[in-house]
Amino acid sequence: MRLCRLDEVLDGQARGFSVPGLQRKVILVRRGVSVFAYRDSCPHYEGGTPMAWKADRYLNGEGTHLACHSHGALFEIETGECVLGPCLGQRLTKVPVRISPSGDIEMVREPAEEELG
Amino acid sequence: MNIIGPDYLVFGVDDLVACSEFLTAFGLTPAGVDDKGGLFEALDGTGVIIRHKSDPDLPAPLPTATMLRQQVYGVRGDADIEAIAAELGKDRKVHRLADGTIETTDDFGFALKFQVTKRRKLEMPAEKINAPGAPAQRGPNVLGVWDGMPAKPRMLSHTVLFVPDIEVATGFYCQRLGFVITDVLKGAGPFLRPKDNDDHHTLFFIRTPEYMKGIEHLAFHMGGPTELMVAGSRFVKSGYESFWGPGRHKFGSNWFWYFNSPLGTHFEYDADMDKHDDEWIAREAPFGPEASQMFLLQHREKWVPGPGPAPKE
Ligand code: FES
Ligand SMILES: [Fe+2]
Repeated sequence: MRLCRLDEVLDGQARGFSVPGLQRKVILVRRGVSVFAYRDSCPHYEGGTPMAWKADRYLNGEGTHLACHSHGALFEIETGECVLGPCLGQRLTKVPVRISPSGDIEMVREPAEEELG
Repeated sequence: MNIIGPDYLVFGVDDLVACSEFLTAFGLTPAGVDDKGGLFEALDGTGVIIRHKSDPDLPAPLPTATMLRQQVYGVRGDADIEAIAAELGKDRKVHRLADGTIETTDDFGFALKFQVTKRRKLEMPAEKINAPGAPAQRGPNVLGVWDGMPAKPRMLSHTVLFVPDIEVATGFYCQRLGFVITDVLKGAGPFLRPKDNDDHHTLFFIRTPEYMKGIEHLAFHMGGPTELMVAGSRFVKSGYESFWGPGRHKFGSNWFWYFNSPLGTHFEYDADMDKHDDEWIAREAPFGPEASQMFLLQHREKWVPGPGPAPKE
């Protein structure tokens, strides 16, 4: 499943994508030529809740971390680990993605049954 | 101690531009805001003050993720400030400021300020409805909704805090500051109203571990459920992130719609909250989805059930 082209996510920025059939968006964060992908689902409350404060606004003000804009939890961009806030020690769920030779960012596998809404 | 309720909530944020954009889109009006931040106010002058988190004028931050730096309570008069200073001065430092206000902290380190309230008296009609059997609230030719109708937050309504110990929190606000418990969600915490406010709650506590200490949400009163729906729908359409709602709570009966924010807390539109006096006997219910709401809806994009597929030529 193709999400977008690499150059459609600006370096140091994040974007959210609705994937048909998936309950939660997929967040892409770009750092240079690396892309990190997570489900848009903060682990603080049961079931997970959306994290942006506005479309595509997933990062904290300094752009150093993914943030949950419910209670300010901060997550490491590279690992998805919560380093400050209510879900301390928990992690965002990684979404396996790859960059195709033609520069498309793709989800590596089709979503599993339990992820479908 | 005639405490009325929160006049301002003060935040130390990491992105003033994003927060200004958010607060304005939410419906608050900048009042003397410059590049260091300032007040974004509801129609009655209550509101949210933002500063950069490194601003030396802010009270010290809590050691958690919360950006809340101070709760400013409005009281009726100078005598109330004196009474609060005398009471809280018994076991903590109370700073007197040149403008007659006082600053201190509660038992968990949340910074508090008390001032003679700066609220402006609002004179505006509530949302009017028509129903069979009752006199029409909207007479002939008076419309209920129209494009571009105003839907602005009228007043800062309540604050919900994550606190590590409900008994300590209730002891401080009830025994020391004269708040009254209106209802209790067992497993979460109590709803509180200050003595000089008949709203069902201006404060609610949720018990959490120490490292979560902070603000869960803040809410603004709207003119009625329709204004709440209109404001929330417009907010979603502009790209802001709905967190929970729209719906209607059971305790307090208020309509609600919660949104994420760059201030690290939820912003709620609320409407049509119950009023109480000292005759009221607090109810109890176990915390959970059933006790929390009468009903819960979810926004979807506008849609219309048209006439069906066009007939084949
Ligand atoms: S819901 Fe994400 S930090 Fe609380
Ligand atoms: Fe609320």
